[in-house]
Formats: sequence, structure tokens, C-alpha cells
Amino acid sequence: MGQEFKEVRESADILIVGGGIAGLVAAVSAKEKNPDASVIVVEKQVCGYGGKANKGGGVLQYFDLEHMKPEDFVEYHAHAVGCYLGDQETMKKYVAMNNEMIDRLEGWGVVIPKVKMPTGPMTFMFGIDLDSCIKMTAQCRKNGVKLFDKVTVSDLLTDNGKIAGAVGYSLLDGTFYVFQAKAVMLATGSQNYRVSEMWSNGRGDGIAAAYRAGAEMRNAEFGNFGQLFQKESFHECVFGENNMYNKLGENVTKNFRRFSESDISATAIREWYEQMSEGKGPIYLHIPKRGGAGGGGPMGDARPYGQAFWSLQNLGEEEMDQENEVVPGLVGEQSPIRVDGDMAASIPGLFAAGDSCYCGSGAPGAVPAPPGRNRGSGILNAVFAGIVGGESMAEFVKTAADVNVCEEQVAKLKADAYQPLNLEEGVTAVDVIDIVQEIMCPCENSIIMSQHRLDICLRKLEKAKALLGKIKANDFHEMLGAHEAEAMVLSCEMHLKAASMRHESRGWFLREDFPLMDNENWLKWIIVKNVDGEMTLTTEDVPIDKYPVKPLGPHS
Amino acid sequence: MLHTNNKIEYNPENCVGCQLCYKACFIDVIRWDAEKKQPIFKYVDECAHCRYCQAMCKKGCINVIIDYSAQSWRQSFDMYR
Ligand SMILES: Cc1cc2nc3c(=O)[nH]c(=O)nc-3n(C[C@H](O)[C@H](O)[C@H](O)COP(=O)(O)OP(=O)(O)OC[C@H]3O[C@@H](n4cnc5c(N)ncnc54)[C@H](O)[C@@H]3O)c2cc1C
Ligand code: SF4
Ligand code: SF4
Repeated sequence: MGQEFKEVRESADILIVGGGIAGLVAAVSAKEKNPDASVIVVEKQVCGYGGKANKGGGVLQYFDLEHMKPEDFVEYHAHAVGCYLGDQETMKKYVAMNNEMIDRLEGWGVVIPKVKMPTGPMTFMFGIDLDSCIKMTAQCRKNGVKLFDKVTVSDLLTDNGKIAGAVGYSLLDGTFYVFQAKAVMLATGSQNYRVSEMWSNGRGDGIAAAYRAGAEMRNAEFGNFGQLFQKESFHECVFGENNMYNKLGENVTKNFRRFSESDISATAIREWYEQMSEGKGPIYLHIPKRGGAGGGGPMGDARPYGQAFWSLQNLGEEEMDQENEVVPGLVGEQSPIRVDGDMAASIPGLFAAGDSCYCGSGAPGAVPAPPGRNRGSGILNAVFAGIVGGESMAEFVKTAADVNVCEEQVAKLKADAYQPLNLEEGVTAVDVIDIVQEIMCPCENSIIMSQHRLDICLRKLEKAKALLGKIKANDFHEMLGAHEAEAMVLSCEMHLKAASMRHESRGWFLREDFPLMDNENWLKWIIVKNVDGEMTLTTEDVPIDKYPVKPLGPHS
Repeated sequence: MLHTNNKIEYNPENCVGCQLCYKACFIDVIRWDAEKKQPIFKYVDECAHCRYCQAMCKKGCINVIIDYSAQSWRQSFDMYR
């Protein structure tokens, strides 16, 4: 290696990677459950400010558990959203914990104005101010959690098939970090391919680290969330799909939606694509004002921190969008790290929480998540997984044996991490991401799929794969950019290969060549795993017999 | 958001060196100059124009100027017309 870097060694019982809402809640929950356990949080940006919860709509899913039972929602969700691919037990646990989660967040100082707004069958929304992560960071400090900012984790350490910690580096000065830990949680968010502005921190490097270490991925083909945006300003049009009109003035929403549904569906995007293909586009919204959860409304000024942010989101854009033309935009939200009901991943000692493993937990079923067609479920799912996972880790480390750090492995992972800095010449991260975006962004590639187009995409992806190892970085920021680009290639490959395997349409997942749901052959999860450097795909039956809600027929 | 062309105007006059803009950037566009106690807008070509830094600055020093024409969904909307 050309340059030598300072090296720092840290050890703790529990290492949490990612200081968004999931990681911070996990850290506090672990400490509350087991105050003797030492806990570190490593965040590549700044704890309290990084991540997504501070840029959102500021709403929380609320279930009125005095008037409904968790089973009721599980039944509705399995039929209408998850399409029998969901882990109904985890979903029930999530709903049952709803009120407790809200109480605990308030106990940690998070501001939750309880103005109840209906959002769909059985669900309501409460408000939440956008400084929740700042409040959780303060709570972490109070509970003795050690926080590292601007340090990114590049790979996981293992010891005889168990997790032994992680390695990473400082974005500011390149210092190399070796973290020894008995339990590691990846709370690193989802893969969003750097497309949509507010989602552009979701770059999948935590998912890639888990994959490289041999952790199983599940539901990788459900990482293709898209929604309608204004064509001119790119402003998102939440619930716009209920008012779509073509250039002939025909209401096209009624072609795919007869009843009110919970949120955007892939069929709305298919309708846009079909109308455009038939020459009946563009598609306009017939709504006087744009939709969107953030700011104002019945909550007034009850979320002052968020108000400062929301007030800047509409500067002159409404004038640009006079025509109200809408187009689909890819959001992504691949969240495939496989975890069980305790948020344990498939490698002993590895855990995950939040957007890194939402689909991997199985809970949402056949839908990219969050929001998984239920607005306001992202934050609470991260909180749910943070509490459950934090407490599981707190128990796990009580009896787990000490772990050893293998110096040979550290040296190899260090060389891998700094490799982009040592190239004399090469391509940029953007060169690689360009190819990935050209594959993933058109809705006819990633949302309305066919084998023909998936094959073309897989061939095109080879061009990006050929550039891996050739991305040159000039500083540590660009070094991270190189690792993120590699993670995007990996996520794209998992998506395309798993999507090619699933010969049916189910929920959000649409294939033109297999338009029907196939409950005889495809009540299955696709599991993706790195076996000796090869991406292998296998299937596993959804244990539908043990779940209360079952399909109604072979195709529904 | 790749190939964007957003600009960030920074007026140091009222800046109190609170670091909030630097902390606020969720994708490392903004760095901190410890000597001058001022933000450095180091990777502006990556700015995703979320405007969180601007919202955090209570002194009105920051103005994110969005070039809407440079952004792209990489979907050829016009080919269908
Ligand atoms: C525009 C928008 C609106 C939304 N509105 C709502 C809403 O109204 N209600 C709702 O419930 N949900 C909403 N969501 C979803 C919700 O914000 C997310 O589901 C939730 O915040 C995810 O939390 P997380 O901690 O799992 O992931 P993130 O918030 O993505 O946090 C992951 C953290 O890990 C860090 N990280 C990543 N990789 C590494 C690494 N290798 N090393 C170190 N650190 C790393 C990142 O910097 C980041 O801080 C919205 C999301 C967006 C983008
Ligand atoms: S937030 Fe404003 S006042 Fe604070 S350091 Fe940044 S520019 Fe200066
Ligand atoms: S607008 Fe957003 S992405 Fe751009 S510099 Fe400010 S915080 Fe960073």
C-alpha cells in the first residue's frame, strides 16, 4: 500500500453500524436492557442528522388498538398488500407493539403530536417532528453509548463462522478503524441507487458488507419502489395516483383502481407506461394543490423543527408545475438482509434493523418497503426493529463467547478498502452508477418486467461489473463513493437475478410475461447468498400452513 | 441524483460557526474548516438539493439554488410522445 494510515482499535460488546433512527433506538434499547454491555455506534455522516427520518413527511403509522386487533390488520395486509408472501408473525408483533413504541419514543424525548388522521383501512397517522434522531442521539449519550461520526464501515470481521466486529475508515482523514465486537448490527439503511433526492443517502454499502461476509438476502427482487413525481420540479406526489388523467381528459385511475387503496401501487406506474406507449400521454393530475404529508395541515405548528425544513420545499416549484404532468421516478428501497423475528441475521452475532432489512425480515411480503404501501410505516418499522434487535443483542452478548480478530483478515479488508486510492488511473464512481441507473430507472426495466428486458439488463450490467476494481479515488470521500458504486452493482444484480427467477406477478412485483399470481408454485421466498464468490439463488417455501391468513385461490 | 448542477450560495457575514450546516448534510457535500470556523462546500456537484443545510441555518447564510433542468429520472419520457 502506498500511503500508511493511522490505525485505531476499539472493542465493545455491541457494535451498531448506522446512526439513523434504527441504529440509535437499538443502542438505547440495548443499554436499557443490559446496562453492563458496552455499545458503540458508528455513523458515516453525523448521528442525529444523517439518515432519512429527519427529511421525511413527519408522520407515524398509528393503530387504534382499542378498536381493532393486530390480527385484523395482519389479515387486511396479507390479502391487500403483502399477498401472502409476508411473515405474518413478525407483522403481528409489529402492530401489537405500536402504542408501546409511541410511548417509548416519547419517553426518550421525541415530539409526537397526536393528531389522528385516517390513511387507509385500519390505519391512522400521528405526527412526529423531524428532530427525532437528535433526541435519540442525546439519549444515547445519556445512556453511555460511544458514538463515532464520519467513520464508515466497509466490511465485517468474522471468527470461525461468527461475527467478530467490523473495519472501516474516517471520511475526514482516512484513519483505519478496527472494531472488535461480539454482536454487530447493520442499521445502514436501504439501497436507493442515488436517484431520488431525499433518498439519496441509501447506497447499500451495509447490505454489500453483509453479502460479502456470507449473510443471506431475502426478497431482493422487491427493491423497485417508484412513485409519481412532478415532471418539472421532481416534487413527489403522494396519493397522486388517485387522480391520473391522460391527454384526452380520461380518468385513467379507474383502469387500475376501483376502490380506494392504501397508497401507490405498481399498477399505477404500469398504467402510466401503457398510456404513454399508446400515445395517450402525458399523464396529468387533476388536483388543485399537490399532495404530501409534510408540514402544516391539521397539525399546524405542532412540529416546529420540521416546519423550518418543509417551508423550503415549495419555493417556486408550484409555479413550475402548473401543468401538473407526472412521471414515475425510481426510489428503490431494496432492504434485503435476511433477519428472523429477533432481528438476527443468518451469521451468528450479526443483526440488522430498519431499512437495511425491512424486506429481508419477511414482514411486509410482496412489496418494497418502506413505506410498503403504508405511509408512516418506515420510522416505526425502524423503531420496532431497533427495539427488538437491540434487546436481542443485549441478551446475546450475556452468554456469547469472546471473539478473536484475525489479523490476516484485517490486513486483507484494509487493502480492499484503500484499493481505489492506490490506482494510478481508472474510472469514476459515477461512470459505474450511470450504468446501474440506466438499467434500474426506466420503469419498463425494473417495475414492469419481462424476461426479454431483464436479459438485456443483465447483459448491460456486465459492463458495470467489468469496471469493478477499476474505480479510482482521489480522497476518502471518493473512496466511499467507489464502495457505494460497487454496492449498487451488487444490489442491481441481486434484483435482476431474483426478478428473473420469480415466474409470476405478486403484489408490487409485476411481470408482463407472467401476469398472474401463482400460489401453487411461488409461495416462496428467493434467498440470495454469496457462496465462495458466486451469487447463488435458492427458494424457500413460505410457511403458509402455520399462518392464519391463506390465499383465496390459485391466483388470488 | 447524478450530473446535477445545483449551486450553494454562502454568505459568511452572519455566520456564527455553529456547524449545523456541516452536520446536516447527509451525503458529505459540506465539510468544516476548523481554522476559519466556516463550512466548506466541497462536493457541490453531488448536492441532492434536499435543502436541509439551508433549513438548519438560523442565520440565513445558505441558499441552495437548484438547477431543475439538470436533473434526470433516466427515463425517456419524450420517446413516448
Ligand atoms: C423523503 C422521505 C419521506 C419519508 N417520510 C416518512 C414518514 O413521514 N413517516 C415514516 O414513518 N417514514 C418516512 N420515511 C421513511 C423513514 O424515514 C425511514 O424508513 C427510516 O428513517 C429508516 O431509518 P433507518 O435508520 O433504518 O435508515 P437511515 O435513516 O437510512 O439510516 C441509516 C444510517 O446509516 C448510515 N450508514 C449507512 N451505511 C453506513 C456505513 N457503511 N457505515 C456507517 N454508517 C453508515 C447512514 O449515513 C444513515 O445515517 C421517509 C423517507 C424519506 C426519504
Ligand atoms: S449553519 Fe449557518 S451559521 Fe451555522 S455554521 Fe453553517 S452557515 Fe454558519
Ligand atoms: S442541500 Fe442537502 S445535499 Fe445539498 S449540501 Fe445541503 S444538505 Fe447537502
